[in-house]
Amino acid sequence: MQAFKFDPVSLPPDAAAFRKEIREFLARELPNVPAERRANCWAVFDADFSRKLGARGWIGMVWPKRYGGHERSALERYVLLEELLAAGAPVGAHWIADRQSGPNLLRYGTEQQREKYLPGMARGEILCCIGMSEPGAGSDLAAVRTRAEKLPDGRWRINGQKIWTSNARQSQLMIALVRTSAVDDKNRHAGLSQFLLELNTPGIRIQPIVDLVGHPGFNEVFFDDVVVGPECLLGAEGEGWRQVTSELSLERSGPERYLSSFALFLELVRLAARVDSEALRHAVGRLTAELWTLRHMSLSVAGQLAAGEDPMLAAAIVKDLGNTFEQSLPTLVQSLIGEDIRLEDDSDLARTLALLLQTSPSFSLRGGTREILRGIVARGLGLR
Amino acid sequence: MSEQRQLLSDSAARLFQSNAGWEEVDALGIADILVAEERGGSGADWDDACALLQAAGHAHTALPLAEGMIARKLVAEAALEVPRAPLSIAANPKGTLARAAGAWRFNGVLAGVPWGRDVARVVTAIAFDGRPHVVVLAVTDARLHKRTNLADEPRDDLRFDSAPALAAPASSREVQRLLDYAALARTAQIAGALQSALELSIGYALARKQFGRPIGQFQAVQQQLALFGAETAAATCASRSAAIAASVGDASFEIAAAKLRANQAIGLATATAHQVHGAIGFTREYALRQATQRLWSWRSEYGNDRYWSERLGRAVVERGADTFWADLARG
Repeated sequence: MQAFKFDPVSLPPDAAAFRKEIREFLARELPNVPAERRANCWAVFDADFSRKLGARGWIGMVWPKRYGGHERSALERYVLLEELLAAGAPVGAHWIADRQSGPNLLRYGTEQQREKYLPGMARGEILCCIGMSEPGAGSDLAAVRTRAEKLPDGRWRINGQKIWTSNARQSQLMIALVRTSAVDDKNRHAGLSQFLLELNTPGIRIQPIVDLVGHPGFNEVFFDDVVVGPECLLGAEGEGWRQVTSELSLERSGPERYLSSFALFLELVRLAARVDSEALRHAVGRLTAELWTLRHMSLSVAGQLAAGEDPMLAAAIVKDLGNTFEQSLPTLVQSLIGEDIRLEDDSDLARTLALLLQTSPSFSLRGGTREILRGIVARGLGLR
Repeated sequence: MSEQRQLLSDSAARLFQSNAGWEEVDALGIADILVAEERGGSGADWDDACALLQAAGHAHTALPLAEGMIARKLVAEAALEVPRAPLSIAANPKGTLARAAGAWRFNGVLAGVPWGRDVARVVTAIAFDGRPHVVVLAVTDARLHKRTNLADEPRDDLRFDSAPALAAPASSREVQRLLDYAALARTAQIAGALQSALELSIGYALARKQFGRPIGQFQAVQQQLALFGAETAAATCASRSAAIAASVGDASFEIAAAKLRANQAIGLATATAHQVHGAIGFTREYALRQATQRLWSWRSEYGNDRYWSERLGRAVVERGADTFWADLARG
């Protein structure tokens, strides 16, 4: 039996040269970034850096050239992503556009929609946010209540609310999952549709939510009689569920799902080099084995995506194991450091540890909770 | 894997499932799979060999397959003349090799030799004059202390008092780091046994009813089995990735990471397998122990967690944080 498919992937022969190019760029553009800003870096918003990547051709690099893309391969893009994340580059501003909004537009958008938005996304100028969660719809995404009703002239009127929307205030565009017909209790996944919403449309109000470390990254987005034209519907009316689940496969499979605490791992290696300790060395050894394995699993999923497959199950496994790894690191490091290191110290190690101790519990919430992922895996094992 | 090798792998898997003995398995050429073609073997790489070993681990095959493959490769490389008979290896020899009047002698102990009592000869690697040598010893020349691992697989101690030996220099990675490649082989067997334990557990969860329904329908059981599945996938992916690395070059880093990762999967996997099975899993008769007793033993064999985390951790710390990522992402 092969319970799950994790076939090995060979990277293209020019990958090594591409890595070198990326590393040289990052060494030049990101000198002396403090370690805690390198942690969880795909949530760090830096619009200037995103525009630099865009100018370099490193956003939407697999998209067709006629939409501002560069027609590079999916595995080259994987190399770029893992290099950016390992270096702790602040890629949060354009991450959603590159990872899912752009691909979603390419898959389901009209020619007009693609031409209007994709080139700006690829330049790092049109930034996107995800319009999925609502106050009553988290893991149970089909419970969204934001509603779009069709007006007699063909336009849509939207009312409702999204929540936990990262970067909404700084973004230009949201792809929102909304209800376009009444709930059918026999098929809750029917009657949902996706809309491309420009966030400066009248009737949209955005309010920040401050997270537990004091960072206003989340937002609430309110829709009060927001009227948009028929050209804002993405894909087919009523097909929103199918579209959003294919978006989730992209969202769950990338190297960001195991590298969020990588900056702290490097601090642990530095500590183990300063302090001769068997416990520290063994932790480094165990974590290295885990990192190496996760990288190969994640790479394998990337290969399956590149081959046009939909590796939903393998992606769920990578995210579950990856999140567990990212979350175990801060606790483990806290348990291993000596009495001479305090959480409130002004050092790379202490600041990174303090930040990740508090933020890493969210890693197994964003993009699908651990419980939902294990449900997907259990179904794959034939248990559901 | 080429079509021909896929055929070999499939027929080997069928043979393992049918509990074939050594003669039938050897007739397929499995023991010679790693031997170069010009020396009469299949010339297969580690990826192919590990595919067979994973199938053997899955079938709970009680034969010195991993050891036999490595032993034959070493003997062929050193061009030693050894009669065709089952062979095993000693990955951690303690003793000295000496040469007098053109004859080799070995004085020392080979501990925990798999199937030591059942094989004709044991192959090991020992440095002599600063060069690694393949050394072959006859079991009949040893004082044999029979021991078995938790799964009743022979793990015998052999003591040699200046016993006659065959020896010749060789320089492959397998000779220089015999323990590493034995660990690579064991990791593939672990992946197979984990898959077997997972299948048994899923099958049982779907069949066993409590409170009027199969226990596999309870979310608490599903979530445990999902994580067991993920751990099995991780160990399997690690094993395969290390085998591929060993097929193309120096794989000491990858083998260390893979054996350590596979060892770590064993804890949760065996605990969950037994939790799901309840009391029946603890019977001598039921098949689950064939997987779990092997896994518990194999976690210690050819390097336990402490051994590999020290080796891997020391190597990483010595290289330093600044080169870590470049080392990890070499491809």
